[in-house]
Amino acid sequence: MLRVHNVRKVFESARGSYVALDGVSLTISDGEFVCLLGPSGCGKSTLLNILAGFEPATAGNVVFGDAPVTGAGRERVMFFQDAGSALLPWLSTEENVRFALRVRKMPKADWPAIIDKYLEMVGLDAHRGKFPAELSGGMRQRLQIARGLAVEPDVLLMDEPFAALDALTRRRMHAVLLDIWQRIGKTVVFVTHDIAEAISLADRIAVMSVGPGSVITRLIEIDLPRPRDLTDPQVARLFTQIENLLAPDLIRSDERSDVH
Amino acid sequence: MTSAYRQQSGSLRDLGKRRMNIDKSGADVPTPMRRLRSWLSRPACRSVSLTAASLLIGFGVWQFLSSFVFNPFLIPPPLEVFRTAIPMLKSGEILSDASISMIRVMVGFATGSLAGVVIGVLLGRIRLLHDLLDPIIELLRYLSPTAMIPIAVIWFGIGEMSKYFLIFWGTFFIVLINTTAGVWRAPVARQRAAACLGANRLQIFVLVVVPSAVPYIVTGMRVAMASSFMSIIPAEILAANSGIGYLLQQSSMLLQTNRIFVALLTICVLGFIVDRIFRLVVDKVLARYMSFVSQT
Ligand SMILES: Nc1ncnc2c1ncn2[C@@H]1O[C@H](COP(=O)(O)OP(=O)(O)OP(=O)(O)O)[C@@H](O)[C@H]1O
Ligand SMILES: [Mg+2]
Repeated sequence: MLRVHNVRKVFESARGSYVALDGVSLTISDGEFVCLLGPSGCGKSTLLNILAGFEPATAGNVVFGDAPVTGAGRERVMFFQDAGSALLPWLSTEENVRFALRVRKMPKADWPAIIDKYLEMVGLDAHRGKFPAELSGGMRQRLQIARGLAVEPDVLLMDEPFAALDALTRRRMHAVLLDIWQRIGKTVVFVTHDIAEAISLADRIAVMSVGPGSVITRLIEIDLPRPRDLTDPQVARLFTQIENLLAPDLIRSDERSDVH
Repeated sequence: MTSAYRQQSGSLRDLGKRRMNIDKSGADVPTPMRRLRSWLSRPACRSVSLTAASLLIGFGVWQFLSSFVFNPFLIPPPLEVFRTAIPMLKSGEILSDASISMIRVMVGFATGSLAGVVIGVLLGRIRLLHDLLDPIIELLRYLSPTAMIPIAVIWFGIGEMSKYFLIFWGTFFIVLINTTAGVWRAPVARQRAAACLGANRLQIFVLVVVPSAVPYIVTGMRVAMASSFMSIIPAEILAANSGIGYLLQQSSMLLQTNRIFVALLTICVLGFIVDRIFRLVVDKVLARYMSFVSQT
């Protein structure tokens, strides 16, 4: 269980302080797929960084299991939007996964089996020898996912991992991700600003308000079977409902960016 | 960021060109002229033949200018320079001066690079050390090796040590500053991803941050290599009794412009060869560290 308790995050800079998050609370149960949905700049990445332990919360806390999160931990793995910068470009596909197993101190005898398993899972086993620069954006992202899964974390923290992909590839990646998630049953916290993406993936959507002082305004359970068809009237109704929920905030966030 | 991409698109274009050539030559019997033309348009041959053409034109213009426009004593024509060079090559005079200069450059460059990389990596990583040393480095880097010649002679005499020191001095700051910048710019996401996977601080530093800095380090070393070639000459002119710089200085005293030009040409050729070797070694040994992955 991942418990976010009244988390507040203030960024201090020479030009003053900015309250990004102001009292965010959320409880995520094991094996749940939660989407954090909100307009650009509302603090989704900030919250995810706190969950990952990369940055401390200014106030409040995050507890995983029964231990407070104080730093990057092996049980929570982050997947970055820009897979190219998260991967090691001087290592081949296979070597990138091997790097993870090495720093994780997995027994060496198990490496080949683990590498095979996860590269196969994301459909990259035919590209083992290629370097990240020789992979497409979608393949890089799948490699990042394989590498992260190979160390068998309990929680996957994903920061808009598919935002830069074309619609078709993104759909395929959704299917891949859901398939993996259903097989391994790990907790997923998935950040997105795309309503359709959130609806097709999540068990629960946490809608965030626009900053400063962003909070979670609404939790939406989605109890529909997957794969979800966006033309299904029930799904379409949900889409409109969330869109209406976000609309005033989107206008506000646009106005804000005009001021800048 | 786009270097890998650009390379790729370049090779694709070449591929297209090559295919067009095949199509053309397949259409009818290749005449010698056509064969020559298609040979010339192959990328490698094209660049070689263009280089040769460029050199020929250069020497031609030089020959013309020194025979008809300028005083041939002040600017000896290339044929004259080659005629002077042959006995100097045969007697081993050039080779020995060139190798003496080269050894000085190499020793200073290798030690300077090593020190620059080690200290640069530490400065890039340890904030306190950086804040403490940065102001000093910022001031010292304006002292070019040439400015240091007089004091180097007093400290180390006119033997080898003063030359090593001067080349070291020039190399060190360039490599240091580039290395520090490279370490700083190691993508945060890459380090954080490694931390999630279970890497400890030392592993992140050694296995992620330092390799990420390699392209910057190599760039620094290439610049430093060029600067070493520039600073060895004044050092030898002012404080040596061997080396290419000394050859220059002696020939100048004796008003032997032919020999001066031989020495100058030697510097050009040496610099060119060393840079090519450096690039070749980087390509062979460090190629995998040199690619930047563009943003997805
Ligand atoms: N290091 C920082 N210093 C100061 N302000 C910051 C810092 N990081 C983020 N912010 C501010 O905090 C707010 C939230 O940023 P965050 O990156 O979490 O947004 P986001 O919801 O992930 O947006 P996007 O969807 O565009 O990625 C923004 O207004 C941003 O300007
Ligand atoms: Mg973000």
